[in-house]
Formats: sequence, C-alpha cells, structure tokens
Amino acid sequence: MTHEPKTGAARPPIFALVGNPNCGKSTLFNALTGLKQKVGNYPGVTVEKKTGTAYSQHGHPMTVIDLPGAYSLAARSPDEAVTRDVLLGRRADTPQPDRILCVVDATNLERNLYLVHQILDLGRPVILVVNMMDLAEQNGIHIRIGHLEQELGIPVVPCEAVHGKGLIELKLAMSRAEPALPRHAWDVPAAIAPAVSELQASLVANDAKAPLIARAEALLLLTDQDAMRVAGSTPLSARTHETLASWKKRWENEGTDWAGALVNSRYDAISQLCAQVVQRKDTSPGPSVSDRIDAVVTHPFWGWITLGVLMALVFFSIFTLAEYPMNFIDEQTAAFSDWIKDKMPEGELRDLITDGAIAGVGGVVIFLPQILILFFFIGLLESTGYMARAAFIMDRLMSSVGLNGKSFIPLLSSYACAIPGIMATRTIEDKKDRLVTILIAPLMSCSARLPVYLLMIAALVPGDRVPLLTKVGVMLLMYALGTFGAFGFAWLFKRTLLKGEPSIMIMELPPYHMPRIGDVIRQMFERGWMFLKRAGTTILGISIVLWFLSAYPKAPGEPTDTEQLEYSIAGRIGQTLEPVIRPIGFDWQIGIGIVSSLAAREVFVSTMGVVFNVEDAEENTEPLREALLKATWPDGRPLFTPLVCFTLMVFYVFAMQCLATLAVVRRETGSWKWPAFQLCYMTGTAWILSFIVYQGGRALGF
Amino acid sequence: MPALIDRHYPQRMRLTDMPVGASGRVCELAGQDTVCQRLREMGFCESAIIEKVSGQRTLLCQLCGTRIALSEGAARHIVVELIAGGL
Repeated sequence: MTHEPKTGAARPPIFALVGNPNCGKSTLFNALTGLKQKVGNYPGVTVEKKTGTAYSQHGHPMTVIDLPGAYSLAARSPDEAVTRDVLLGRRADTPQPDRILCVVDATNLERNLYLVHQILDLGRPVILVVNMMDLAEQNGIHIRIGHLEQELGIPVVPCEAVHGKGLIELKLAMSRAEPALPRHAWDVPAAIAPAVSELQASLVANDAKAPLIARAEALLLLTDQDAMRVAGSTPLSARTHETLASWKKRWENEGTDWAGALVNSRYDAISQLCAQVVQRKDTSPGPSVSDRIDAVVTHPFWGWITLGVLMALVFFSIFTLAEYPMNFIDEQTAAFSDWIKDKMPEGELRDLITDGAIAGVGGVVIFLPQILILFFFIGLLESTGYMARAAFIMDRLMSSVGLNGKSFIPLLSSYACAIPGIMATRTIEDKKDRLVTILIAPLMSCSARLPVYLLMIAALVPGDRVPLLTKVGVMLLMYALGTFGAFGFAWLFKRTLLKGEPSIMIMELPPYHMPRIGDVIRQMFERGWMFLKRAGTTILGISIVLWFLSAYPKAPGEPTDTEQLEYSIAGRIGQTLEPVIRPIGFDWQIGIGIVSSLAAREVFVSTMGVVFNVEDAEENTEPLREALLKATWPDGRPLFTPLVCFTLMVFYVFAMQCLATLAVVRRETGSWKWPAFQLCYMTGTAWILSFIVYQGGRALGF
Repeated sequence: MPALIDRHYPQRMRLTDMPVGASGRVCELAGQDTVCQRLREMGFCESAIIEKVSGQRTLLCQLCGTRIALSEGAARHIVVELIAGGL
C-alpha cells in the first residue's frame, strides 16, 4: 500500500537508505523515524520492506525507505536484488526514491565507498552519512569530512547514530530544497566505454530510462554476470538483452576480464580519494577488544564450547520461560471459548467458532511466547555481532554436508518453528543452498512436536517411578534423530537433486558492541507479528476446513462425539488410510489424528482427546494417557504398546505434518513443486523408518 | 598494520596455503568468475593486504581493518605474495 500518487509538491520526498551490512543503517533508520514505521513485504519476494516517516526541522514529513544492506549493486541474493531494483526504479510496487541516503562506516571507509561509488553513477541527489565517527577516532582514523564533500560534490554528514549525534545536521541536509547533484568524475576504462554507451543508448531507447540511470544500469549489467532476478521487477527489453549478449560474446572471444577491470578501476578511484581524505595516526594499540573476544570465540576448541553453552541457554529459556505465558494463553483461549458458548445459542455456528476457529488459531498463538523468546535471543546475538561468529564456527560442520555457515541461523530458528526459519533463509546467496535449507528446515524438531512427544513418552513409560532421565533421553533422541536426518538429507540433496558448486561463504564479522535492547525488542515484535499474521490466516482457514471434515456428514440418531467422528469425512479418511498405516502399527483412530494434525502437529493431542472421548485432553495428559493405554484393536490387542508409541514419535520426527509450513514454502520458492516434493520425501521417509522400527521391533519381540 | 619489511623474496601462494599470522598482498584472483567478482567487491582486489588470523577450512582474515570469514572454496581463488610473518 505504498502507492503514493505522484502529485508534485504535495507528496513528501522519498529517501532511500542504503549501505553495507553492519554500517549502522538500521539504527540510523530507527533514529530518524522513531516509532513511525511500517513493515511489510515486497510483493512476490519475501524481503522485508521497511518504510518510515521522518520530520524535517520545519515539521515537513519525509518518507524514508530502509533498503536491505548490500555490498554492491550487482546483486547476489534476493535482498540485494531488491535494493538494486528500487534504486534503479525497476519495481512497480515502490516509487523510485527522489534522494538517496548512503550510510558508510567511518572505520571502514574504503570498502564502504564501493557501493557509494556505484550509487553516485545513478546521478540522483545523494547525501553521504559517515556513521560511527566515534569508533573511527578511537581507532586513530581521522576523516576530513570537508575534503570528502568537496571531492564528491555532495553533502557529507558525520554521525554517531547510536548516540543520536549528527541527526539534526542530517535532517537539515535532507530538508534542503535544491539538492546538490554529485560531481562524479570517474572515467570508465577505455576498453569498456563503447559497450557502456551502446547499452546506455539501448536502455534509453527501448526501456524508457533516463540517460544517467541508463548509464548506471549499463555499467551494472556489464558487471552483473549472473543477473539475479526477483519477482516484481520489470524485465529488460529484448533489444537491450541482445546488445548485452553480443558484447559479452565479443569479450569472451578476446579473453578480457571486463568485470574485473571495472571493479578494479572503481577501487583505484576510491583508494585515490581515501589517500586524501583518511588520515591514520600510526599508533598500533595492540589487539582490540573485539580481537581479544574473537581469540576465544572463534577458537577451534573454545569456540565450540561457547556456541554450545549459548545454544543450551537459549533452548533452556525457550522451554522454561515460555511456560507461563503459554499457560496464560491456553487459559484465555479456553475462557474466550467458554464465553462464546455462554453468549451464543447452541448450534453449528457456535461449534464452528469455538471448536474450529478458536481452537485452531489458539493452537498456533500458544507458540507465540516461544517464538518471541527465540527471536529475542537471535536478535540479541545478531545485535552484539556474535551471530556471524556462530555462522563462522558452524561453517566447518555445514560445509561437510555441502552447505555453508549462513544456513545455520534458519535451522536454529526452525527448532522453535519452521515458518520463521524458512523466512530467514532469504539471506542465503546461493539459490540451491537456499532451497536445500528450506527443504530440510522442517526436520528440525519444532516446538509443535513437543506435545506429541510428551504424550507419547507419558504413554510409553509406564508409571511415574521411571527416572526422569529416561524421559529426557527419549526426548533428546527425537531431537537428535531430526537433526541428523536434516544433515543427511542436505548431504543427499546437494549431491543429487540440487547438485552445485561446493558452497562458498564470504562474510564480514562486525566488531562486537553492546546490544541495543530497544532495537532488539522492536524487531522481535515485528517478526512475531508477521508470524501471527501469516500463520494465523492459514491456520484459521485450515482449522475451519478440518472442523467441517470432522463435523459432517451428521451421524444418524444421537451420536456420541466418538461415533460422530467415526461417521464424518475425517473418520472415513482415517478408515481409508488404515491399510496404509497398519504396517507401521497405527489404526484408523490414529489415522484421524494424523490427518487432523496437518493443521498443526499438536492438534494430534486434542484429536486423540476427542477420539477417545476424554475431557480436558489439552490441559492434563494424565486421563488421556489412561484412555490411550485402554484402547485396543477390534481383536482385543492393546493399541498403544510401547513400540507403537515409539514408532509414532519417529513418524512425527520426519513426517511433513504442517500445512502452514507448506504454504510458506510455496511462497518462498514460488511454485507448488517444492512443497509437494517436501511433503513426499518427508512423509515417505517417516513411513519407511516407522515401518523399519515397528516391524523390526516386533521381530525382536517388543 | 604490521611493519612491512620485505625480508624474503616475495613468494606467491594461494591464501589457503599462507601460514596463520602472516600477511600477504593479493596478486591475482583466479578461478570461477562469479566468485572472483564477489571477492573483488568485498575488497579483495589486487594489491589489497590480507592478514590471516586463523584458518582451519574456514579462514578468518583481516582486510582493511575488517574481519572477514572466508570458506576454503572462496579463499582458494585468492593468490597472494607473502610480505610479512610466517616462515
């Protein structure tokens, strides 16, 4: 909904905020816009779109778009592609920004100026924000701001976004009515110049681009070998495509590395500039604090210990701290349901609302505390700079299955819920790696599996006298099974289905700094809200459908709940399913549980409660456990033998029992092919392993 | 920056082969074009100076005052000449 009509002066000016990752861009964005932010998505790609409103010194509103961090306009990941496309005015959903705010890290000016150099080519008004001036001074780096301003011909504002310093000057520069255009003197290498001008001409003639933008885009097309395309961006015209292809071919025959020459000539220009602008005091202060922390944290042995302890702490908090809010949400949903039951006359609609909608959505909302806690810790670790070290440590392990360290964060999130995990894969540059990570993420045991595990462990281990350790051991076994399964499948997919180059990681490790709790909490709520919106709507739909499936057709007479379920479509599906699941020891009643838990795995527990006619199944697994142990096959054999309970757990470790995840995978991959494949391979593996466990166990006499 | 005393005859080697703690100057990027391009844009251009901080398959380097993690596959593309440390 960011389609602001272009009504001349009435429209507030649009600023795009760009910069390298870790340059303090988000902090600056938060400082500029305060709480006036809107987080959404770029349609077609799941890249966060952040817009906010800042006010000039005179109170005029100014729109600020926070673009994803990028090292170069030659995009490698969907994130960077969005940044490039917005700046080039290639996206229909976002107006081309009027002015550009470039943020650079003062401690690292030379490398940060590369992106600035590309952006200056665009010929748009640019304001350069030199952030982290305090850190630069501490490191003995002095930047001659006035000189930089003179050389580039654009306003340059020194700034310390963390401390709010330089914001007033920045806002003043932003409110200037006639922005200065960059005086960008840069000679394109002679060998490339004719190609640039021909492409530029074609872009102007065939793609309706303004000349300066066309020149910048031509330069970009020549360096961008494997052009990353994302949905929602306007494609190039056929004529331009042809011109580009013919030049590329000509160079290939000549053996010129034109792309390398372009990058080098940019860096040459930048290092000349830096030689004049940056003054280093030749003090060698010895290893910095960051270096000293890194000596431990990235150590081949202590690094693993640190990571292990931190992860254990995170999981401990997820499972202990979340308990109270989860109970609270559970009580509130039940109370709300009772209130509706009180207020509405008995009937189908009331049942649909209470048993379908509220129960289904409540089943998802209950995981919100865990997800918020996970996001809080991930945000905290990211904010201090540790997350990049964790990815570095994990890279060795991940590369043995063909992935790289960047896949670690999505997989970690998937322990709470696969949905945010899959959403977090968008920072992975390699398309195949990203797909492999998406495919294996749901194998990490998410918290929705916990209720199923807990119930089965309760039924599996007779009595309460069994040491707690056995229960914990079985639980850990399930987590290990899922994790190793995920790594195994990653290895398999990287070798067969998504064969590609061994994965490569080039990642900057930002210096450590104190976390900004405000930003972490803000991000936690933003992500949590997006989870709720997305999963909530899908789950609501599925819950309603499932309710219809289990409520219709109506059994004749005065049926009990169990009889009604047996007669319903869901019951019939369960019965149809029985021949398939019988070899793994499940009957049709468990079949109903499996079908209904496609909405969310923990629904299995409540379904078992309905099937075996137990009140309050959700709140107390004790009576349900009794009922399960009494359940039998028609011939009188007990249904839930320890072996069946164990098999059921193994089944739930691997089976793709979550329609919401499939819906998210569909969104992320852009086709139904991948979720379909995921459903088949995961549920197939689940069945085969369950078969081996069940039949093997029986042969061994269990 | 460590003192750059050219005591040894410059030796060319891959970054992966450079000893930990040594510094080297990038001579050339060789291998897959897309990877080279990415490395260049991250600042690993010809004549840049890299210090190898640690390295066991995944390397940790210091480049222009920034720490950068490089996986083996990427580091293999970088040919450096030894200028200080090691040996």
